[in-house]
Amino acid sequence: MKTLKMAAAASAVALIVAGCSSDEPATNNAGDVTELTWYMIGTPQPDLNDVMAELNAYTEEEIGVRVNMTQVDWGDYDERMNIITSSGENFDIAFASGGTYTLNAQRGAYLGLNDLLDSHGKEMKEAIDDALLEGASIEGELYGIPANKEIGQQRVFVFNGNLVEKYGFDTSQVSSYEDLEPMLAEIKENEPQITPFPASSTFQPIMPFDYVLGADMPVAFPLTGDTEQAINFLETEEAMAVFNTIRDFYEKGYIPADAASSNDPWPYNVENWFVRVEEYNPYAELLWERDAGYPIVTQPINDPVIKNESVTGSLQVVSATSRHPEKAVEFLNLLNTDPYVRNLVNYGIEGTHYEQVEEGIIRDLPARVENYNMPTYALGNHFILQLFENEPEDKWEAFETFNESAVPSPILGFHFDPSNVRTEIANLSNVASEYLAPIYTGSVDPEEYVPMAIKRMEDAGLEKVMDEVQAQYEEWKEVMEE
Amino acid sequence: MVVILGLAAFMCIFPFLYVIVISFTAEESLALNGYQLIPESWSVDAYTYLWNMRDQLLQSYGITIVVTVLGTIISVSMIALYSYAISRPQFRYRKFFTFFAFFTMLFGAGLVPLYIVVSQVLGLRNTIWALIIPLAMNAFYIIIMRTFFMRSVPESILESARIDGAGEWRIFFKIVAPLAVPGIATISLFTTLGYWNDWFNALLFIDNPDLVPLQSLLMRIENNMEFMRQNTQLGAAAHQIYSTIPQDAAKMAMVVIATLPIAVSYPFFQKYFISGLTIGGVKE
Repeated sequence: MKTLKMAAAASAVALIVAGCSSDEPATNNAGDVTELTWYMIGTPQPDLNDVMAELNAYTEEEIGVRVNMTQVDWGDYDERMNIITSSGENFDIAFASGGTYTLNAQRGAYLGLNDLLDSHGKEMKEAIDDALLEGASIEGELYGIPANKEIGQQRVFVFNGNLVEKYGFDTSQVSSYEDLEPMLAEIKENEPQITPFPASSTFQPIMPFDYVLGADMPVAFPLTGDTEQAINFLETEEAMAVFNTIRDFYEKGYIPADAASSNDPWPYNVENWFVRVEEYNPYAELLWERDAGYPIVTQPINDPVIKNESVTGSLQVVSATSRHPEKAVEFLNLLNTDPYVRNLVNYGIEGTHYEQVEEGIIRDLPARVENYNMPTYALGNHFILQLFENEPEDKWEAFETFNESAVPSPILGFHFDPSNVRTEIANLSNVASEYLAPIYTGSVDPEEYVPMAIKRMEDAGLEKVMDEVQAQYEEWKEVMEE
Repeated sequence: MVVILGLAAFMCIFPFLYVIVISFTAEESLALNGYQLIPESWSVDAYTYLWNMRDQLLQSYGITIVVTVLGTIISVSMIALYSYAISRPQFRYRKFFTFFAFFTMLFGAGLVPLYIVVSQVLGLRNTIWALIIPLAMNAFYIIIMRTFFMRSVPESILESARIDGAGEWRIFFKIVAPLAVPGIATISLFTTLGYWNDWFNALLFIDNPDLVPLQSLLMRIENNMEFMRQNTQLGAAAHQIYSTIPQDAAKMAMVVIATLPIAVSYPFFQKYFISGLTIGGVKE
């Protein structure tokens, strides 16, 4: 009995002590310097602390801020950040993307940045493409600073250059799946070791739609024609035509037989493929070539389109729980406009991780690849980054031209709030995951399975979701026109 | 009979053998022919890859071993003491404490409260305790052990010890614990396996690469692959990520390395395991 009482008392004391001491030391103010916590996606890098020390020496002087970056590995990031935001933990800055960004912004997990951007982030506001700021805004309020990079989505056919040359194909004339047919046939006949058209379960054929709930859900708006009406794209003729072509490819053996269930990523360094579809940005072919070790030929399929997906691909958000939102925005401002800061965070320390070849041109040192390999795309403004010596000098100009040529999708900036139709969406998603991969990869006959999928989706509540999307779209449209 | 048993045994071992074979398959052969029982070309590239990341692997190995050993000791002593107490009829609050443990089996609070308690209330983030404490108590094992103590430790033995002048601690360590060895060994095996295979706590609470256990390292690689698959629109950026992820053979090699020690240690526990488990199933 005595021991019991003591144990209870001891554990109570332990709880109280722990409760007091758990006040995040990272955000304590040491003098006038503010400490910011920053969550970033990517495999934790061994040299992160060294680079942060270097960065802090500079930011402390410039804006009185020290930042403390925590990296969370790719695959863990979403789950981890979900728990952190749900638990109301205090942090300042975090990387966010896509659906997670929209959902958390709508839930109020992120701070609205419109006013702060005007007061503490003017330079950054000017530096970043307007289309990005507009597209990433949710009902007029911006909740994250988008990374300033390619803003359009363009898809390209990527050809194995060796085979293109061997057979003398003219790839510049290819503009659709049908155009590939003769080439695929020839490869199939003469190259038994080569898969003409590799595809796996994530393969999504190119169709002229903008998907409201992602390309693995049936609700979409057409990019051409009547762009005001939400549709089930499975019902369109365009989609059926594409499905039929792919089905034809599958039956002729151009696509691997297990495509619908396979997770094979088809790495470039294995030369066992002929043509594939990739997302493009300027000079991406150089990257692919470096990976592959053999020539790559690309051919664009569509003009770049600015979609929600592309403008919310990578953002830095400020948490609603942040105790220093102004300082956080000031730091983001520096990250997006100060070349020293941006390059330091991205490439590491000069002399340790890279060396200067000439003004603005750098060369990797071994330490960068091994100990400080940061995801460039996730870190902010690209246009103030130095270039590697093997990169084309006009890389950023090419990006600008690319961005200027991009056409906004009709629903750019429309972010659907799913809270009213959550159950239906869950049901729909089940049906979609059952049917779409086999249809997309041509593993089943679309004439038979597409109507079946449509029927099942209607049973799952497609109409209700569609009505909700349409209603929200019209509401959004009205607000935007005001 | 022998043939059937042999076949069954082989079926159990086969997947692991297959994993070993794949880990020794050349990557080109995997890409061209898929998984084969007898691959076209063999290679030790996967193990070379692991050798190159030996610092991280050894570190993670160390963490896993420390967590498993320390965790098992802490967990088993806590569970044994708790269940011994609630197995004794003369302990006045045993009903309350039995219910107290049992209740958690029926109603779990969920992920977010767990996170808040461990990271904010206890402040264990990025410490090795975040890998140990959350798994230390397990209501199910407490119930098993309680039953075990009730069945295998007769009250009269304890009484005679008390008459001879033994205190509670001496009774527990000198009489109860030796009598309960099969039960304790069973719980030990369970908790050892639990700690060895745990990756989730590391996902929640560990950012420091020096504290990442082995299974969590494996899981991260798996999750990264999944991330790549679902984010095909990353395009060029995906290649940056891809370069940091090992290929199939290397993954299998990691599975071999992560599974082997525990598979090898299993037979040593097994005799206790069998007698321990029957206890819970017998009525009298």
